[in-house]
Amino acid sequence: MGRVVGIDLGTTYSLIAYLDKETGRPRCIPGPYGETLCPSVVSVDAGGSVVVGEPARRRLLTQPDRTIYSVKRLMGRGVADVQDELKIFPFRIDPESQQVIRVRLGDRLFTPPEISAFILRELKSWAEEFFGDKVDRAVITVPAYFNDAQRQATKDAGRLAGLEVLRLVNEPTAAALAYGLHEKRRGRVAVYDLGGGTFDISILKLISTGEGDIYQVLATNGDTHLGGDDIDNLLQSFARNEIREQFGLDLGHYPEATQELRKALILAKHELSAAESTTVKFPLPGGAGSARAGGAYVRKITRAEYEAWIRPIVDRTMGPVKMALADAKLKPGEMDEVVLVGGSTRIPLVQRTVEEYFGRRPHVELNPDEVVALGAAVQANILETGVKDMLLLDVTPLSLGIETMGGVAAKIIPRNSTIPASAQELFTTGVDNQTGIDIHVLQGERELAKDCRSLARFQLKVPPGPAGLARIEVKFLIDANGILQVAARDLHSGEERSVEVQPSYGLSDAEIEGMLEESIEYAEQDFTERQLIEARNEGETILRATEKSLAQAAEDLSVGLDPAERRAIEAGVAALRQAMADGDYKLIRTRIDELNQATVPLAERMMNRALATALQGKRVAEV
Amino acid sequence: MSTTQARVAADPTCWSCGAATGGEHFCPACGKLQPLPRGTDYFALFGLTRKLCLDAAELEKRFHQLSWKLHPDNFVRAGEYERELSLDRASQLNDAYRVLRDPISRVEYLLAREGMRKEGEHKQQAPPELLEEIFELNEWLDELRIARQTSSNGEMMALRGKLEAARKNFEEKLRAVDAELDGVFGQWDAALDAGADDAARKKLMTRMNELLNRRSYIRNLAANVQKELAEA
Repeated sequence: MGRVVGIDLGTTYSLIAYLDKETGRPRCIPGPYGETLCPSVVSVDAGGSVVVGEPARRRLLTQPDRTIYSVKRLMGRGVADVQDELKIFPFRIDPESQQVIRVRLGDRLFTPPEISAFILRELKSWAEEFFGDKVDRAVITVPAYFNDAQRQATKDAGRLAGLEVLRLVNEPTAAALAYGLHEKRRGRVAVYDLGGGTFDISILKLISTGEGDIYQVLATNGDTHLGGDDIDNLLQSFARNEIREQFGLDLGHYPEATQELRKALILAKHELSAAESTTVKFPLPGGAGSARAGGAYVRKITRAEYEAWIRPIVDRTMGPVKMALADAKLKPGEMDEVVLVGGSTRIPLVQRTVEEYFGRRPHVELNPDEVVALGAAVQANILETGVKDMLLLDVTPLSLGIETMGGVAAKIIPRNSTIPASAQELFTTGVDNQTGIDIHVLQGERELAKDCRSLARFQLKVPPGPAGLARIEVKFLIDANGILQVAARDLHSGEERSVEVQPSYGLSDAEIEGMLEESIEYAEQDFTERQLIEARNEGETILRATEKSLAQAAEDLSVGLDPAERRAIEAGVAALRQAMADGDYKLIRTRIDELNQATVPLAERMMNRALATALQGKRVAEV
Repeated sequence: MSTTQARVAADPTCWSCGAATGGEHFCPACGKLQPLPRGTDYFALFGLTRKLCLDAAELEKRFHQLSWKLHPDNFVRAGEYERELSLDRASQLNDAYRVLRDPISRVEYLLAREGMRKEGEHKQQAPPELLEEIFELNEWLDELRIARQTSSNGEMMALRGKLEAARKNFEEKLRAVDAELDGVFGQWDAALDAGADDAARKKLMTRMNELLNRRSYIRNLAANVQKELAEA
């Protein structure tokens, strides 16, 4: 058996962690760049080789049509569900897609679980490199408010990545686990988790018992499409409007520049968490000779202005918070602790809003990016070793129901029931010699079946007979992962009936088997080999960029490039070429960094010139 | 139903080693988790008699103790059958706790077990002593809907006031029913302690059933008024 890890498969970043047996503490495992955060970005190049993480993120700028981010937003969803997202996210969804979305990356199609599996496989390779040992089992975290299909899709992704998924754990619960372990506190805890794409609120009770600590979730609520991405999109639409007004330029025609702008705005967002104002500088696209050549969009944003923009997004989190507290039958003032999780809780407005509501200062001691992965590692260790000093009792976020007469959804397992949870229902026939009973399983809080999420449909076979004679008992069970299982039994014969459940949104076992076979080609690529490919690709990119800059500097003498600087850059280029030919990925990375260093002053001068031109241009226009 | 009966043998034996289990959760000989007979009483699962005044803290403590033993976390490395048993047992434990911790679902469960109440059968009958008030309320609700269409503001305000008062009135009544139910819970527990006969127990259960119907009716009324007020 290989090693066991905890994985936070996030919208923007993913992390992998393990429990250090010597210290008894969980730790995140760094990747080849020394960073524990792996951007959840996947890129498939023309040769079919897959790049994940930081190098893939860079390709968002150079090969946006082969690169995807925020794929978590598509997990477990159908084409009709994601129409709103498509207006904002550059997902290229195959028009032939049905219940399971297929995304186009270059000339190939992938399902969201396959793309997530690439991210999982990347993280797995980080851990395998770190341990010098195989990793084959994992606890993976999911937003607490994920429905059955989204959970199943995550589990499928684990399987496709060659991992046995020991358990899916809810992100806020994992955070509470890491936090409780760290702080040794007890009592009622609210975990407010605002990540890149999802929002969760969980209300827990931490209790010490004779056997160990119990983390009991009392209630959970959330929004699986609310997060930092929404802020990025908002900023982006503001900026694009302003660019259209000021320059008459529609960035819709420039996918690469759109990604550049997005990057600049995310940077501004991060800066506004610490500074009172920031200035976005974005060189406009358009080749030499065009009217806009050398132009730039320069925009100062103050904290106050920024907060006024994003307040509606932050306020949207408060509805779920109120509902979770109401379900837990608690008032805001009754919480003993409030914990903030997720990168977006670094935003001062978010911290203030939460503090005002609960009347208590939230905890920010633990790194909000890492805490979920750390909790997952703790749970993974418990499941692996069977040595248990704590127990998680989690809940199902949504009510489970079945469709009854007139399209009404009858709730059979209420939301916030501790899982595993079950319900038995008795079914019979309505007409003579009926041979099947159709059952439609739903998830959600609405009264009518059509307004709830369809989980699955299946037909119970019954022997022909008079109406009302058959007695079939169906057991609906939500397991500890929050995933539905169905079993049926004929009460007359006592026989178990097999139930073929066709998930409404998800992959069948056969489809997953097929994908597993296809994916072996990726799995067999060795870590070092892959690192080498990535490093070489990256090297090519920087070499091209450097050559372009040198050529430009040669044409435009005002940039100013003295012979010593030129020689240093050329030496850097030669050294990088040599390293790329030799094939040691670590050396290539060192040379890339060195070349970057050598070209920084030149790049800065070129940028400043572009900005100066832009400011000049603006003054002229104002006259 | 025959197989169900066959499974609940008088002297259960361990599925793994064949030793007599004495009905324990785990086999005393080999320690393997045992299946729970179908239809086990939720009260019995917690080692309780069918009393209705439950100490919430004590119930929670027992729930935690049993969770610690039965939770699927303990069986990740066990064989498939034991994993299934654990899932079964843990889900049943959680279902039982969900039902027993709430006094209303607790008494509904008790009455159902005793064959005194069937789901959804009698909820729609209006309690006779409330008929007059319900009649009046329905008139107001009709007027409110008409006023909303003709958008007569003054009338709406007046009706809102009346409906607010009606809502408060029903909530008051709900509290009174709850208090009365509480009283009957005490009587029921005392009757169990005293070993009361079937007739006496049946009388108490009939009373509880009436109170539950009354409660459910009033609750629906209050919820309807609330909904109409929110829409107005």
